Amino acid sequence: MEKMIYALLSVKKESDRLDSMLIGMQGISGANLYSLPVDEITAVVSDTTRAGLITDSTNAITFAGVIEALSQEFTLLPMRFGSLMESTGAILKMLERNYPDVQQNLQQVEDMLEFGLKVFCDSEKLRADLMEKSEIGTKTTVLSTPEVKNSVYRDWVNKKLKEHRLEELLLTHVDSVVAAITEHLSRMNAVCKFKKMLTETTIIDALFLLKKDMKTELMQAVGNLQKQYPGLNFVMTGPWPPYNFVEITIK
Amino acid sequence: MSENKILFNTGSLDGLSEEIGKLTNNDESRLKLTPDNADSGLAKLVLTLVELIRKLVEKQAMRRVDGGSLTDEEIERLGETLMKLELKMEELKKHFNLTDRDLNINLGPLGDLM
Repeated sequence: MEKMIYALLSVKKESDRLDSMLIGMQGISGANLYSLPVDEITAVVSDTTRAGLITDSTNAITFAGVIEALSQEFTLLPMRFGSLMESTGAILKMLERNYPDVQQNLQQVEDMLEFGLKVFCDSEKLRADLMEKSEIGTKTTVLSTPEVKNSVYRDWVNKKLKEHRLEELLLTHVDSVVAAITEHLSRMNAVCKFKKMLTETTIIDALFLLKKDMKTELMQAVGNLQKQYPGLNFVMTGPWPPYNFVEITIK
Repeated sequence: MSENKILFNTGSLDGLSEEIGKLTNNDESRLKLTPDNADSGLAKLVLTLVELIRKLVEKQAMRRVDGGSLTDEEIERLGETLMKLELKMEELKKHFNLTDRDLNINLGPLGDLM
């Protein structure tokens, strides 16, 4: 029977506390959870079969729920759904091989939590506002000599140039919002990751890793940002285990 | 999950759900190649790449026009070429029954291709 790995934990001298916590928890398909320790690092696992593992929302939520519960008590590195190994021995060997990397990653996320921030906009309204504030609507686009000024090709270029300038303006605006977010978070020593312009309406998708006790301060900062940009919708989620801040390639 | 994970949202939950749906539901833009639709699936894949390159070329051209380094004659020729390319692309999309949305592949966490 294979083993499903949920997370790698930094347990130090609290292995008894972990074991008693695991007694009251269940993994995928109601399987019992148990720990496999190597020095200060422990893998939380349950027995499963590759054939019996179905990727559906119930199992995904159960998997995330185990990680979530453990993250409230211990520093951990969440594993990807479907992380299976063939035996206890294989997991212990994997932990031994990767011990320094795992330890280093655990130190980086110790007492830290992940938060997500998405910024949405009404795409048409934002473009219209930016257009109004800029000179794009009125600015001469490209120069025309008298003999070509009525050219259909020239009109096409003018239209495209207007669209291009609007896109540039939009990007500049998004960059200014990212800069404002970064400034608000600078005093919290947060590790930040940003993605811009995911869709027409999702202009920013940000992730922050910061100390557990910074949650209230972060919410206040997002509130201030919302006041600063009333035309945008800021949505903050969390706290999450550090899903997006673990950089390790298991050997 | 053990608690409400939305810590801050001034909009409606329905609106948020719709936005998240746009980010995660990429069914329309997914490439579905099967033995029965190999022709149209391949056309979609090829046209997606052509459209991406065409848009990159167009973007670069507009940067140059905006930079003011092109003569009137060059702008005229550029406009003619790019406009014809756009029209040809429209023809091809129509021929293979594809829309702009079909060619804008959703790359999951990376967002839309174009």
